[in-house]
Amino acid sequence: MIPSTSYSRDRCVTGVHGLDEILKGGIPYGSTVLASGTCGSGKTTLGMEFLVRGALAGEACAHFTATEPSVKLLENIRQFQFFDMQMVDTGLINVFDMDVLYSWLGMQKTSFELEDVHALIKAITDIVNTIGVTRLVIDSVTTLCYKIRSEQLIRDFLFTLGKKLATLGCTTILISEITSASENALWSSFGVEEAIADGIIVLGDIERMGHLLRYIQVVKMRGTGHSRAKYAFELTPLGVMMTPMLKWGSVTGQ
Amino acid sequence: MIEFDQRIAEQLSEVSLNSAIQVRVGTSNAFMVTASVLLPLMQMFEMGGVYISASRGAAEIIQALEGIGISTERIHFIDLVSSGILGGTESQYDNITYVDSPIMLESVLLRTLYHIRTTPYERNFVYLDSVNALAIYNEGRMLAEYLHIFINTFRQRDVLSVIMNVPDQTPPGVLANLDLYCTDLVDRGQVVIN
Repeated sequence: MIPSTSYSRDRCVTGVHGLDEILKGGIPYGSTVLASGTCGSGKTTLGMEFLVRGALAGEACAHFTATEPSVKLLENIRQFQFFDMQMVDTGLINVFDMDVLYSWLGMQKTSFELEDVHALIKAITDIVNTIGVTRLVIDSVTTLCYKIRSEQLIRDFLFTLGKKLATLGCTTILISEITSASENALWSSFGVEEAIADGIIVLGDIERMGHLLRYIQVVKMRGTGHSRAKYAFELTPLGVMMTPMLKWGSVTGQ
Repeated sequence: MIEFDQRIAEQLSEVSLNSAIQVRVGTSNAFMVTASVLLPLMQMFEMGGVYISASRGAAEIIQALEGIGISTERIHFIDLVSSGILGGTESQYDNITYVDSPIMLESVLLRTLYHIRTTPYERNFVYLDSVNALAIYNEGRMLAEYLHIFINTFRQRDVLSVIMNVPDQTPPGVLANLDLYCTDLVDRGQVVIN
């Protein structure tokens, strides 16, 4: 039966070429999306473009980096023709080093307990609230969660953080590092992130006769219909560009 | 001195931008036909474009075109050949992008789209040289699927696509699909030697 009226959630239009089309308009506002991928698959670039596109639309954006220093990260996004350092100078793009944040919070330890996790959630949500951040990227949630030893605590951390950010109207991308994006692989390192997240975007490589082709696939996105096909993608100075992966060429090793 | 095929220019003047032209050539006249297509596109119709070279290295094609007085400044080349040769990508030309292999068909499409998006020209073409060269590396059904997507992608964007092939070196299934997808045919595949 076709409903007489259709309800559609408001979207965070990512601005990333092809992605909004795949998501039938964008990521539902306030969602927490896991962007899982192998090394070199383009996770960080995708996350940064999501922020720069947001800044271009006048949104305040934040990036928490635990994998590379903020200076290096900013150097890497200068490749985007649509990026302007003014976005950083005017506070539209805010990059935070997790190490600095840990230092502020007195959390320079090898493992986090319950109170540390709560302090971290509070610090992140306070920053988001103070700046009025509507787009957030945490790169990577894997590195962050390595310090949280218990699976239950990881689950609580991600669930509470996601809930609080959604309340603040912030759409979040959690970058997750995985070792394989093959069919039987997990979409996260700890196996709990994928259950908590509202959406999962997988990035990986397909090997075709000894050559690696990057692909992106949305496997889950609550609140919207979406394509579940694999798309080949390239990183260009105009940002990420996508095209449907050839059906006869998407089998690994073919 | 090369003799350009004037009938090609006449035929090109009748096609619309969202057309897909199949150009059938023989092994001996491929360059002459290519030059006879490119010259009017750039000089008469003031178009810019992307040339996908799968049969020869782009630098060699640039030199050959410039050797007969055809400027290549309006064209960006996507070279699928030279990366397969160590040292092949050392070139003096800055209008060449190299793709690792002719099997990376999606990359070729995306890089072509990228250059079409950055071109300063209002009207653009994409010249695929050639289907038979791609067929050396790619299986027939994948190549047919690719050409289907390729042609429709550029038709949708009002970019003229010109698809060159040597019929007797192209898988019959792919050739049949080209006949179906392309809107126009320039047939110079039957070379008569007097």
